Amino acid sequence: MEIRKILSRKEMKLVTLLLTSLLIATASAYTYISLTMTSTVQVYAADVVFWVGADNGTKGLVVTFNSANTTATLTGLRAYPNATFTYTDPVRVKNKGGTTAQLRLSPDVNPSANPDDFEYVKFLLNATTSGDRKWLNYTSDGSIWTSPSGPTSWTTTGILGSASWPIVVYTKARPAGVAGQTVTITIKVDVD
Amino acid sequence: MPEPLLPEFFALLAVDLFLLLSLLSCLLDERLPKAIPYIYQIAALIGFGHLLVSKTFFTQFDEYMRFWYNFFYLLVALGNVIAVNLYLAVEKKLWTLAKAWSGAVTFPMIVISVFFLSNYSYLQGAEFPMLILQIGFVLSVIVMGVSISIFLSPDILNKLRRRKEVNQWK
Repeated sequence: MEIRKILSRKEMKLVTLLLTSLLIATASAYTYISLTMTSTVQVYAADVVFWVGADNGTKGLVVTFNSANTTATLTGLRAYPNATFTYTDPVRVKNKGGTTAQLRLSPDVNPSANPDDFEYVKFLLNATTSGDRKWLNYTSDGSIWTSPSGPTSWTTTGILGSASWPIVVYTKARPAGVAGQTVTITIKVDVD
Repeated sequence: MPEPLLPEFFALLAVDLFLLLSLLSCLLDERLPKAIPYIYQIAALIGFGHLLVSKTFFTQFDEYMRFWYNFFYLLVALGNVIAVNLYLAVEKKLWTLAKAWSGAVTFPMIVISVFFLSNYSYLQGAEFPMLILQIGFVLSVIVMGVSISIFLSPDILNKLRRRKEVNQWK
């Protein structure tokens, strides 16, 4: 009887309501804050970068890099009619980090110009172990270019820390290829 | 850079409004039905559920939809504030209490809601009628002026009341 009297008192009701109010208000505010939480993403210097190869400055090749060595532009690559021309070390992919990084070559902008002048342009990620080597082949039948299709063509491979692999370029023009004709291809090196 | 308001802020504001109503109605329990404080607590819990639903379906629901269901909930809360005000004034004929309620709860809550709504609409690039803000500003200035004059000279109310009585006898 006494307990019921105490519980029905106004002060008791108010304290109970105050406590439940605090609980609901805190839980609601916490839920709202969790909705507004933001993530901070920091830019880090890339561990895997492009590096100059031994072929730079030879066979007409000029390789230029951006300041962070994350893009490389190869100009002056040659293709001769009916002959495979090889650049064995035009540019390298280097892992500056201490741990293994997963990387792959993948297409970015596919060739479309002058298919009647070229037979193929092939890129080989020349890993130290032959089983890790990856190809990206762009071939022309004389009328259209055929580019690598599907992710199976560009699976990842692991490069050890401090290792560097050359990207070998093979070119071949068609027997009737006209001198001075050009084609532009953009490829990417994706790093996981 | 300050975080822009999310539509869920209106639900959070409404939850706090219901909790305030619950506590105030508990203090005024002789003048309001006994169950009212608990009903407002349940209403606040529904608002909490609102926020949980928003959080769970954050990626599925677009901002337009989230705004409207949260804003509707705030309107319900404001409607309850006004309803209590009218109940005290019309049903119970407690004029003094009704006036105090409108000055201390109804008016500030409406002004706060309009302020956050205008802020939200401005950040969303939506046009909000400026007239409402101007009216709110004028009303705020009037209320603030009257409050300051009463605070500085409390006798002014008694003087006004006496003058009214004299005029009635005339």
